[in-house]
Amino acid sequence: MLSRDAEHLYWLTRYVERIENTARMINVHSELMLDFPGDQSLGWKPIIETMDSKKFFKKRYSEYSEISAVKFLGDDKENLNSIISSLDMARYNARAIKDDLPRSATEQLNNLFNEFSGGMASSSSRRKRASYIYNAVSGAQRFFGIISDNFSRGYAFEFMRLGRFVERIDMISRIIDSLCITKSEEQTHDFPTLEWVSMLRTLSAHESFRKEIRGEIERGDVINFLLKNENFPRSIYRCLTITEKSLSTLPNNTDVLEVAKKLNTRVFSAKLDSYDDKQLHNFLDYLQRRIHLLDENIHKNYFHNYL
Amino acid sequence: MKISWKKYPSSSFYDEYITPQNTLRGHSKKIGTFLESLSIEDLKEINAATETAIKSMGISFRVYSEDSADGQDRMWPLDFIPRLIRKSEWLQVEKGLKQRVKALNMFIEDCYNKQEFLNESDMDKSLVLDSPAYKKYCVDVKLKHNTWSHICGSDLIKAHDGKFYVLEDNLRVPSGVSYMLENRMIMKRVFPELFYQYGVTPIDAYPTKLYETLASVNNSRSKKPEIVLLTPGVFNSAYYEHSFLAQQMGIDLVEGRDLIVAKDGFVYKKTIEGLVKVDVIYRRIDDDYLDPDQGNPKTTIGVKGLIRAWQEKKVAIVNSPGCGIADDKAVYAYVPKMIKFYLKEEPIIKNIKKFLLTNKEHRNLVFKNFKEMVIKPVAESGGYGIVIGKNCSRSEKDATIRKVMNNPRNYVAQPLISLSTTPTYSGDSLEPRHLDLRPFILSAEKQYVTVGGLTRVALKKGSTVVNSSQGGGSKDTWIV
Repeated sequence: MLSRDAEHLYWLTRYVERIENTARMINVHSELMLDFPGDQSLGWKPIIETMDSKKFFKKRYSEYSEISAVKFLGDDKENLNSIISSLDMARYNARAIKDDLPRSATEQLNNLFNEFSGGMASSSSRRKRASYIYNAVSGAQRFFGIISDNFSRGYAFEFMRLGRFVERIDMISRIIDSLCITKSEEQTHDFPTLEWVSMLRTLSAHESFRKEIRGEIERGDVINFLLKNENFPRSIYRCLTITEKSLSTLPNNTDVLEVAKKLNTRVFSAKLDSYDDKQLHNFLDYLQRRIHLLDENIHKNYFHNYL
Repeated sequence: MKISWKKYPSSSFYDEYITPQNTLRGHSKKIGTFLESLSIEDLKEINAATETAIKSMGISFRVYSEDSADGQDRMWPLDFIPRLIRKSEWLQVEKGLKQRVKALNMFIEDCYNKQEFLNESDMDKSLVLDSPAYKKYCVDVKLKHNTWSHICGSDLIKAHDGKFYVLEDNLRVPSGVSYMLENRMIMKRVFPELFYQYGVTPIDAYPTKLYETLASVNNSRSKKPEIVLLTPGVFNSAYYEHSFLAQQMGIDLVEGRDLIVAKDGFVYKKTIEGLVKVDVIYRRIDDDYLDPDQGNPKTTIGVKGLIRAWQEKKVAIVNSPGCGIADDKAVYAYVPKMIKFYLKEEPIIKNIKKFLLTNKEHRNLVFKNFKEMVIKPVAESGGYGIVIGKNCSRSEKDATIRKVMNNPRNYVAQPLISLSTTPTYSGDSLEPRHLDLRPFILSAEKQYVTVGGLTRVALKKGSTVVNSSQGGGSKDTWIV
């Protein structure tokens, strides 16, 4: 399989996963603000921070308002990590391997793009903006569903799965981190666990969580669930396991597998439920750096990009 | 309303179906009678079915336009009335094409080695040696089977005498063969009745024969050579064909950035398994863009060091660089002499008379008979820059004469041949339209000629411009 084709497949799913998670991230915060409408400490700054975009955002927007933040993360073309930019890049990669994708997958991607670029910027109502964000999540999920059902298993599939889960690990860690940053700055409200419940919901994890943990919801349980649960597809630990699984099917995988395995062991052994928000933040930071290293290794090993 | 051949407009042009007395020719009786049994509505339906099939199969080609930066993807235009050629006639054409390409290949190798033809004939040496297509890095190179142009597309036309003549030879990067194959696929879907009646000779062997040709130029010892098709990429007008042929032959479609010439001088493709050595490259990129070390240094679609690897026989390239010297409308005039010189034979297919406008006598003759002439720039393709004398206004004629006088080496002239016609669907009836034929000749250890080839038809009434980029269409070609 040509390196270039593998690279396109990997980045296609990375970008679609990024779309879904950026939308979820916006949702996490929007939902939270609905529960604590008066709370100024729950600003949008932590999210922008966790996306490493503080400087860039400040240059273009005057304040961390909902409208600015949602525009920045949603349809600001200058922001390379916005939903619209990710859609552009996803389509670019899809076009390059057009003959290898099922036609319905390409169509779904085009639909997603057309719907999203159609009206979000111009819709002034919060409800309308919210619906665009929700549709971004479901649109991305439809795309992955089409791939999962119509794509033969093999190297091409594994590179797509790899891209998807590498991105997921990175983004979930940022989503969780945005809450850590928020809370480590100030705590002016009651019900400290409410934010974590809200997070479970926006990560579609509430039902699965409830099945496993009954009774009162404790912060530690949620953190364990989202970072160390073996079964939930959006738990960091499971994502790392799946990443390892994909890598183990590929040729020449000794080095990359080692990086993945080490990281997996580290997450498994960390007593995360005992960390406070600051410690958790540091751990998530570490996680992101290691994932970045894994991505670099994948590039060197398979895509021959000696950068 | 039914078709009637009696109403078919007769003319001084040679029609391949209908005689001047409006009767069907021998080989077109079966299909002619069948078509007469159809109504205009039937024809409309068949045309619509053809277009639908093309759309759903996604057979397209790209046209560069001034309006859009990327060019447009257009659906491939196929006329569903096939073009018929008698088998006995085709066997002769086949022989003639093989003969011609053999001589041309010997000529190319000779020009880069002993230059015997150049020294002994009356051809002006500078036509070759001063041509930008003449590549210094080809000097003293000798190739397997003495073959440089392994894939040649020679354009043929049928003149008013009903005989085939060669219009020009495309020895560099000829395209169109995938459309020939796709046309047949569509016709089978849309018009199956006719195939039963006619016993049309199948054409599907081409991808296999092409693969065999590519495999046979391999220099390495490996039993199964690693072959790739090198494409400029999705924005190229013939990209559809690159992708189609690669898929039909089961070889990788690569771009320049997928290949690398390593320190050992061999060419490798970048794969997830690591670097894999490449033995044969079927390149659809012009000589000048193949390698930034030779040719255009700014090229982004080539591979650095590729030509060196080729010179050292560490990789084979099809068609070889340097073929352009024979792919020149001025050199064309000497091909009959080449056939006599190298093969000691008379050309089986004749050339059309051609005037080299560097010659003063020829120039005067051409200008005097401007209305009967076609003036062409020597190195263009795609039908661009062609001036048809009888269509020119006074000022257009003057402008053309000025252009020629400014750079006579750049132009040749041919008498306007009345191209043959074949019935073509025109919306509400079948009308005669001019056409040409591009067969493809493969040469390596053995030679192979496509069964028929790509027939291109000028869809506009009275037009003789057949190129798809300028509104031409195509037909399926049947050897019957």
